[in-house]
Amino acid sequence: MNEPAGRQEAALSRRVRDRVGRWSLLALRSIGSALGTKSERPPKSRLARIARRAASFGIVCALVLTVIWALTGARYFWPGWIWFLLVLPDATRLTVRRALRTSIRRSLAVHAAIALVIAASLVAIWLLSSHRYFWPIWPILALVLVFAGHALFVPSASNSREQALAERVDVLTRTREDALDVQVAEMRRVERDLHDGAQARLVSLGMSLGMADELLDSDPDEARRLLAEARTAAGDALGDLRAVVRGILPPVLADRGLAGAVQALVVASPIPVEMTVELPAERLPPPVESAAYFAVAEAVANVIKHSEARSAWVRVRHIDGLLSMVVEDDGRGGADPHSGSGLRGIEHRLGAFDGTLQISSPSGGPTVVTMEVPCARLSPKT
Amino acid sequence: MRAVIAEDLALLRDGLIRLLTAHDVEVVAAIADGPSVLGALVEHRPDVAVLDVRLPPTFTNEGLLAAIEARKHVPGLPILVLSQYVEPLYARELLSDQRGGVGYLLKDRVMDVGQFVDAVRRVAAGGTVMDPEVVSQLLAKRARDAPLGQLTPREREVLALMAEGRSNAAVATELIVSEKAVSKHIGNIFMKLDLPPSDDDNRRVRAVLTYLNS
Repeated sequence: MNEPAGRQEAALSRRVRDRVGRWSLLALRSIGSALGTKSERPPKSRLARIARRAASFGIVCALVLTVIWALTGARYFWPGWIWFLLVLPDATRLTVRRALRTSIRRSLAVHAAIALVIAASLVAIWLLSSHRYFWPIWPILALVLVFAGHALFVPSASNSREQALAERVDVLTRTREDALDVQVAEMRRVERDLHDGAQARLVSLGMSLGMADELLDSDPDEARRLLAEARTAAGDALGDLRAVVRGILPPVLADRGLAGAVQALVVASPIPVEMTVELPAERLPPPVESAAYFAVAEAVANVIKHSEARSAWVRVRHIDGLLSMVVEDDGRGGADPHSGSGLRGIEHRLGAFDGTLQISSPSGGPTVVTMEVPCARLSPKT
Repeated sequence: MRAVIAEDLALLRDGLIRLLTAHDVEVVAAIADGPSVLGALVEHRPDVAVLDVRLPPTFTNEGLLAAIEARKHVPGLPILVLSQYVEPLYARELLSDQRGGVGYLLKDRVMDVGQFVDAVRRVAAGGTVMDPEVVSQLLAKRARDAPLGQLTPREREVLALMAEGRSNAAVATELIVSEKAVSKHIGNIFMKLDLPPSDDDNRRVRAVLTYLNS
């Protein structure tokens, strides 16, 4: 029994010793760093270095004065003023910095921090000056009133930046969801197209070849018919793959960029389309290019399918970091932007790039579809 | 007949060489990248060139651009362009120098060996061979337009087959009519498209051009 108790005692004392050692080490280290003898992170600017020196000097002075106070045995703790002045700048700095770190209602947080520091200072002064009457209550009351006023009235006027930020976050959340929805729907479509098209045809091709192989000797005519069938299946599979590729990234867009792809749309259109393209020589970033192309293609397809127009105009330009695409027709108008899934899909797709889609389509026409995408950055070389 | 081919995929390149050689076409050069195409065409001056649209280094449309450039250096150089997809815009660019000896086909057409070799020979002979896919895309587009709007449906069928590079006999077989009837349709097409009489081949090319450029 004794032995374990003794061991326990030893362990306890060791732990205490360790803790004391650690604390003293920490204290030494902090004093050391305050004195500037050992700094783990070098201060960044000259001003910061000077401030650090001054703080170290202040701590040394305060320590010396405290020792003098202790030696003289005065009742009134006058070095408290020195400590107070020494602590004040750092306390202010730390509190304000912490307040600045908040993301919502930041100005209010900073106001609160400053008010808190002032109130604490007043209380400290009251303590140090050892007045009976607690006079700081009045200025503190005033601070609270001013802060309440700020919290009640000012935010609505001065927080436009925060409001804008909050709205931006809302927009980003929504457009990101839309973009993901569009992407998932797109992938599902590609998967289905491949599954029902090329894959099925390749299976049938394999079957035809296998059967032809079996019949080669016994029934050459039938084998030949099966081979012809296999060839047709291969051709159909290629056709399906082409259609899928066109839906993902039209080859002409990959080859020629937006200007060439829009030109190809115009060439293939059954109604005459007049085209104006003002684009820089460099290619636009591929994702923007692709979204813009599909937007124009959808708008032109709508003109052809629904408008009964005799002619149409496509204008694509990139000016001052804004890519704008206008598709106009002389058709019957009355297009409802909310009825078709095509235009909604385009709106979502453009939304991912902060782009917008507007339709003006009075009954009787003309219909003007205006699409804009902010796009300042150009890809250097594709 | 001497041919130059350009195709970057070794499998397809070897297949093309084998296919053409088996049909008495001598392949004098087989190229695998875009920048060497022009030099080879100007150097060898083949009877026909078979070019893939998409070649290294950019894998976009350098085959097409090389074809257009080569025909500037060697006017009328017969070139057949192959592609995984056809784009009417590219067909129009190929035909823009208003000379024959141009073909633009989907790679799929290689599977029908007889027709493919036939197309190569027709291009070499100065004919114009457009893929049925280009033709059908343009048919959908041009149906309402003048002057093609004046053509009867049958005449449009004949013009479409002409654009594919078929001979009168082939058109007659396809439409199950007599060759004489085909000649009559073609005469009407030339008249309606206002093509002045000249040698028949040239008029055929120009009829196709009207078709593509209207």
